[in-house]
Amino acid sequence: MKLNFFSKKNDVSLESEAGYEKRHHAVSRPKETWKETHTGISFSMIAYISWKNLKVGKARSILTIGGVALGIGIITFLLSIGFGMQQMIVSEVTKNNPIDVIDINNGNLDNFVSLTDDVVNKVKNIDGVKKVERRVNTGGKIILGESQTDVIIYGTTSDYLDMLRVNYRDNGGSFSNDGETALISDRLANLLGFSNPYDAIGKKIVYNIALSKEVSSSLDAEKVTDNNEIIISGIVNNSDNTYIYLPTKMLQDKFGIDSAQDGKVVVADMAKFDNVKQQLEQMGFVTSSIAELIAGINSFFSTVRVFLVVFGVIIMSISAMGMLNTLSVSLLQRTKEIGIMKALGTKRYDVFKMFILESIIISFVGGLLGFFGGYGLALLANKVLIILGKRMGTELSYFVYVPTGFVLAIGGFVLFLGIITGVMPAFRAAKIHALEALRYE
Amino acid sequence: MDEIKNKIEAGGERIAKMNEAPTQSDESKSDAGFFPEFEHHSNTDIVVGIKDVEKTFVLGTNKVDILKGINVDIKRGEFVMLMGPSGCGKSTLLHIIYGLEAPTNGTILVEDEDIWAHSKNWRAYFRNQFIGFIPQQAFWIKSLSVIENVAVPGFIGGRGYRESIERAYKTLEIVGMKDWAHYRPFDLSGGQQQKVSFARSLLLNPKFIIADEPTGNLDQKSGVQLMDLIKEFNESLNITVLMVTHNPDQVNYASRIVKMVDGKIMDDIIDKEQINAMKHEA
Repeated sequence: MKLNFFSKKNDVSLESEAGYEKRHHAVSRPKETWKETHTGISFSMIAYISWKNLKVGKARSILTIGGVALGIGIITFLLSIGFGMQQMIVSEVTKNNPIDVIDINNGNLDNFVSLTDDVVNKVKNIDGVKKVERRVNTGGKIILGESQTDVIIYGTTSDYLDMLRVNYRDNGGSFSNDGETALISDRLANLLGFSNPYDAIGKKIVYNIALSKEVSSSLDAEKVTDNNEIIISGIVNNSDNTYIYLPTKMLQDKFGIDSAQDGKVVVADMAKFDNVKQQLEQMGFVTSSIAELIAGINSFFSTVRVFLVVFGVIIMSISAMGMLNTLSVSLLQRTKEIGIMKALGTKRYDVFKMFILESIIISFVGGLLGFFGGYGLALLANKVLIILGKRMGTELSYFVYVPTGFVLAIGGFVLFLGIITGVMPAFRAAKIHALEALRYE
Repeated sequence: MDEIKNKIEAGGERIAKMNEAPTQSDESKSDAGFFPEFEHHSNTDIVVGIKDVEKTFVLGTNKVDILKGINVDIKRGEFVMLMGPSGCGKSTLLHIIYGLEAPTNGTILVEDEDIWAHSKNWRAYFRNQFIGFIPQQAFWIKSLSVIENVAVPGFIGGRGYRESIERAYKTLEIVGMKDWAHYRPFDLSGGQQQKVSFARSLLLNPKFIIADEPTGNLDQKSGVQLMDLIKEFNESLNITVLMVTHNPDQVNYASRIVKMVDGKIMDDIIDKEQINAMKHEA
């Protein structure tokens, strides 16, 4: 007779042991004081038997573990590249733009505000502001011998230049807030006839500057001041534009320039960042900051990650079904084994643990192989890209990155996968009646 | 019988190994220390007491009475053979005594313990520690070797790998199967498998052994070898044996024959001459 022990109603219904105990010994049942000594199979032995069982069905185990490894590997590969690219882009963006700086400018004509001394003082008084630096910009012309060219003239301070991460100090450049020297862009130096821009350092140039009410409150109308002389003290590299940096103080003293169009506000406490930004906007400034850009980048990558996670869940569902199938087949093949183990005294819970552990071993080994495989493959792909980039003249860096949180999440997921796929077969195995299992064909 | 006696004497030396001084780990986990509530068991002469046991199966809407009031006391050292036609309830009774199947009514006392008054886990542990079991067909854990399979009751009882394997090796040695220790069980012949199954039943020094037609699937020679071995241990170590069999040729191994028909005990024979006569009748 073939008994189906998975169905609740068998052809031959055996009276449940619990039912018997309830009817006959509800009152007189002795207390099980020795229960504590009944430890059951030790964990190491359960692990040993589970491992041996996996080894017996080697091909099946390898395929199932391979399925899990493939799923975890693909997820790790994609996410490690995703995390790495996000980190690389954020690092590139913040390299020249400190995260604690809010850029302000005087906005459109409907809502015009200039950075005069009074306004700068008001900004400085906002709670959480550490420092304010401003920059004026106007047009002008540079003349050197026969050469002359139109330029943007910036009036600024060395602190502003530092905040802008403008590097002019290499090759002996300098900029003094109180002096009468100028920094020029390398492109401007080229236009002035210096094939090597650094040859311009120390040279005296003549400049004309256009003044307006916008930058000088004392003026009634626009005017141009001609034939001012200044010495070049440094070169700003990698510029596409022709511009010159002059000290704000000198522009103020010489031409009466007393307000600027844009500035940078350094926030002392990042917790007050949003508040400072809001107050600046209330004053009429148009604000922008790298934090917004970074938030945008992070938001983009978070969206990408959501898609990857959905993709990963689909892959892992297939792996989980493979695991479930393996464990269910294993359960059917080992029904008699479970029967004899129970007949020889194995506790239900030990049978349950044995199957759960098998599932966790499959999941864990698969997860481990998948993680290192995926990570290794991502590093390899990165290396190949670096080599190809080098050949094409582009310098690429390593961008594969796995955050600790992701490693922990993978570990947790693998454990969850092992338990969730193992629970049903383990529960079924634990429920099998010893006699029915021994009779099972 | 003379032949059996000779074999028993020859095996005496091997059996003596079982009674060698226990190892340190044995001492630390002796049955008394491991299971203190059952220290008194050796004081009783009745190993199994079957009182008014009834069993009814429900087949669809019909109720079928398989056991109709069984009363038997099995004494220490007896070799009891439970005989009767197919469907008379022998195996069901055996399973009830072994704690695998609940009786509809009645009481089973094993070493004075009402086994069905306890929990399922209690019975599991009791089976593991006190009862040896030889099924009709040897069941194995496929992934384990012969010696590991013999050691399984040790693992189940919470003993460590090394200790259980040492005991298993000793047990295999005394049943003459130590050379097969590292084979896979299914590589062995049916007779060899049943010997190993017997070794597994002996692992934890059981109080009595339950055998459900252990020679049912064996050829005549292997059957005789196994029966000799069981008898050898029954007489030398005073281990009580309760065996279900269909084979009347085996009655001369028994010290008592309990005959069942239609769920009732028809005969309970302890007279040696009567038992021998049964064989000749068959």
